[in-house]
Amino acid sequence: MRISRRDVLSGLSVIGLSAGLLGGRRSARASTDDYRALVCVFLYGGNDGNNMVVPVDGRYDDYAAARRPQADGGLALTPDQLLPLAPVSGAAQYGFHPSMPELQQLWNDGALAVLFNVGTLVAPTSKADDAAGRVPRPESLMSHQDQQNQWQTSLADRPSRTGWGGRLADELPPASLPPLVSVAGNALFALGASSHPLAVPAAGGPAFGLSGFDSSAGSRAIRTAMDALRGLDLDNALVQSVAGETAAAFAASGALAPVLAGTGSTTDALFAAQSSVLGNQLLQVARIIEARSVLGASRQIFFVAIGGFDTHNNQIDRQSPLLAQVSGALAAFYSATVQLGVASQVTTFTLSDFGRTLAPASGGGSDHAWGNHHLVLGGAVQGRQTYGTFPTLALAGPDDFTAQGRWIPTTSTDQYAATLARWFGVAPGDLSSVLPNVGRFATEDLGFLG
Amino acid sequence: MTSRVLRMAALAAALGACSSQPSAPVPPLVLTPDVVRLAAQATFGPTVAVVQDIEQRGAAAWIDAQLQTPPSDLGSYPVVADNVNAVCPVGSANTCYRDNFTPFLTETAFFRNAVSGPDQLRQRVAFALSQILVVSGAEVRPNYAIAEYEKLLLRDAFVPFRQLLEDVTLSPAMGRYLNMVNNDKPNAARGTEPNENFAREVMQLFSIGLVKLQPDGSVVTDSSGVPLPTYDQNSVIGLAHVLTGWTYPLQTGATQKTHNPAYYLGSMVAVQSNHDPAAKVILGGTQVPAGQTAEADLALALDTIANHPNVGPFIGKQLIQALVTANPSAAYVARVSAVWADDGHGARGNLGAVVRAILLDAEARGDVKTDPSYGRVKDPVLLLTGPARALGVTTDGVFLASTAAALEQPPYLSPTVFNFYPPDYSPDSTLVSPASALLDSASVFARANLLLRLLYSPPGPDRTVSGATGTQVGLGDLAPYGNDSGALVTSIDALLYHGTLSADARQAILAAVNGQGAGPSWIRAATYVVLTSPQYQVER
Repeated sequence: MRISRRDVLSGLSVIGLSAGLLGGRRSARASTDDYRALVCVFLYGGNDGNNMVVPVDGRYDDYAAARRPQADGGLALTPDQLLPLAPVSGAAQYGFHPSMPELQQLWNDGALAVLFNVGTLVAPTSKADDAAGRVPRPESLMSHQDQQNQWQTSLADRPSRTGWGGRLADELPPASLPPLVSVAGNALFALGASSHPLAVPAAGGPAFGLSGFDSSAGSRAIRTAMDALRGLDLDNALVQSVAGETAAAFAASGALAPVLAGTGSTTDALFAAQSSVLGNQLLQVARIIEARSVLGASRQIFFVAIGGFDTHNNQIDRQSPLLAQVSGALAAFYSATVQLGVASQVTTFTLSDFGRTLAPASGGGSDHAWGNHHLVLGGAVQGRQTYGTFPTLALAGPDDFTAQGRWIPTTSTDQYAATLARWFGVAPGDLSSVLPNVGRFATEDLGFLG
Repeated sequence: MTSRVLRMAALAAALGACSSQPSAPVPPLVLTPDVVRLAAQATFGPTVAVVQDIEQRGAAAWIDAQLQTPPSDLGSYPVVADNVNAVCPVGSANTCYRDNFTPFLTETAFFRNAVSGPDQLRQRVAFALSQILVVSGAEVRPNYAIAEYEKLLLRDAFVPFRQLLEDVTLSPAMGRYLNMVNNDKPNAARGTEPNENFAREVMQLFSIGLVKLQPDGSVVTDSSGVPLPTYDQNSVIGLAHVLTGWTYPLQTGATQKTHNPAYYLGSMVAVQSNHDPAAKVILGGTQVPAGQTAEADLALALDTIANHPNVGPFIGKQLIQALVTANPSAAYVARVSAVWADDGHGARGNLGAVVRAILLDAEARGDVKTDPSYGRVKDPVLLLTGPARALGVTTDGVFLASTAAALEQPPYLSPTVFNFYPPDYSPDSTLVSPASALLDSASVFARANLLLRLLYSPPGPDRTVSGATGTQVGLGDLAPYGNDSGALVTSIDALLYHGTLSADARQAILAAVNGQGAGPSWIRAATYVVLTSPQYQVER
């Protein structure tokens, strides 16, 4: 690693932050031997998992029949387009969307696993239980906002002001920098009861510090007044929250600004062809991971996001570039973790609002649904395997609670999150404080992290 | 740090050197705090002129006059084709795409009007509506289409809600955005179903919300405390079928087709052969009989939605949050819902009367608000227009439009139909504060650095923009106080803080001012400190 403590210190003086941040806390920084990071990639809008991973065995005909030919306004990918996912032994049963060659390669390398039909669940359910109302459905199923929230809180049966990433961070010992870092603004996922994320700009974005200040008396007078005002008139809770956000930004700027500007980064080149929304966010994550020891970080939870997956029309043309971006950016990021020697200490995973109907909608799109397929990537992942149960691709079939192909999930977000949380280091006895509903499900470890 | 970084001290010295003509002291601004508060709620930022206008007329009369003020001109823009092949021709200027296929020019007009237009309340309400009934240029690319939608909201800002809902539903931009345009009846041969996108969002976002509400905005629950949903998936499917059979308006000289090509002037038109004539069941079990026209089906559906008891508290509360306070009391919401139900003349959903009631309510008015949960975190747009109006900025809107994008709130260009932030966003576990979703540690610096730019080096004309004049900061109502730091801070307190500055805060600002050379640099330093303060970022 090229970045040194000296770079960070010089960064501090450039920004003009007092040396207070570097006080005693820093000298007690944790060993990085057991560094671990989770990277949450949120696909906003509801990614159509039905076209991300498609059966290539005898079930392909079910798929094609329900999705209909593209020439008729349907959504079926043709067999020759699909990128086969060969398991460790035997013939491929599934194929990736044609825009995902990099992720196909990572599957072949054993670093990528696919998780089938995960969704927000109040409790385990079935088509019969659901139809009879024996198990309540998640609140506001198929509403973007609510389902985004429930994927991020893993609480399908109640509103929550905390996300499971935030609650996971609540379990960590205090650190000099917040363990939660979002490169995609504020997200419920990263809000805990006591934890609050640091939001940073993506690579190539604006500076993470104040412009225009120097060591002149005029600059110092302005900075002194700003610092003073931040501590005044805190009788109003909204003023208090703005002041808190501002103070957190100022406190983190000195150490982080040079890292976020790419100073000393050795992985930028891996992202040379990935100057996309997601690529620029994941490059920023890679830079922070590279600087982890200087920053005193031993456990980190990152949040990145990309939008545009709400493909109600013209889906064939719209989903391809999005999946291409995901594939390229995730692969570049994985290469970065390999280069930094932390591939098995960083696990990247996808979340999304919901799956989409198997039946096409008027206009060549698909509508909001429920269960969905997801990706888990990293050196610790037991890859080249699928997990969970693939749904029967039949409209009004055994997994469809409507007539348009909306899958009742067979794995819950709680189980997905718990598997990641256990790997991250949460003791089994503490899991219920991070994921209060996980005990309702048969297993809290889906096995994709060994 | 780059060479482009501004040096406050150097600028201060330069500016200080050319100022300081001795002149008679000007007495500090004296403004009625409650009137300044009303101006902050009902305009894009208080100016001395607006405050004095309200002081002279009285709040109610000023609002009534604003309700009658016609919309400012948003400009006319060329009609361009909108299909997969619609691109700027080879060899066209590199501004072709920006000017025709992004809302950039409309946004510059938005900011010109927000800074200086007379129809402040209309614009402010239309901006609030644009964040509830969302159409975004991220998906609807032609600039003229977005301009047309913004004009619709400006025109309809104070009409009956039922009218607004119909105009929005038949707007081709909305039709394109949420896929109601060319949404055809079920096609068994192709295996396609009507598109549910608009059917779902018109209920969830534009009118009634997901759960049943009391008139005071509280959630109706069953005996075990579970919120009661307003509709189920079958109602969405039913409404999606009701809304089949509409296509783009016919461009003059074109031939009517079952699917007209994209065209965004006027309202969508019905094509009965694409409308599903079967019977449907929609919201609340309302039966839509078989055999009706697309128009008759639509009228019944919109009546059903607009008459749902949720609309008053659902939309009324969001308007309160957009104009006055993010955490209104239940009683305040109930009073506004009552006006929504009946404007006093028997009319339901009279938006002008609702806005008037919101602004004249006792919870909105008063010189000082001490409730610790009172107020609203300002939208980034208001953090730009407020200073621009108070500091006598003249602008072509170019800098403000690009700055709004950098602050994640480019008007009419939100990332999704869910606006720039959710209406129930909470920055911690206690208070709702929608606009706080855009305030994070990254945007803290983005905001401060862009305000610095506005104050210290506003950009001149962008030569790629036709008729550009750039942005100039004249310092406006504060200009007379460049040599009197005490009067300067008192005046800033009156205009930007409506007289709430504590003695300590006043001292802090004074110290910053006195650390600079006198003259315009005093005003700039004071306003930079004020505009970046947590106190200014909360309107209360």
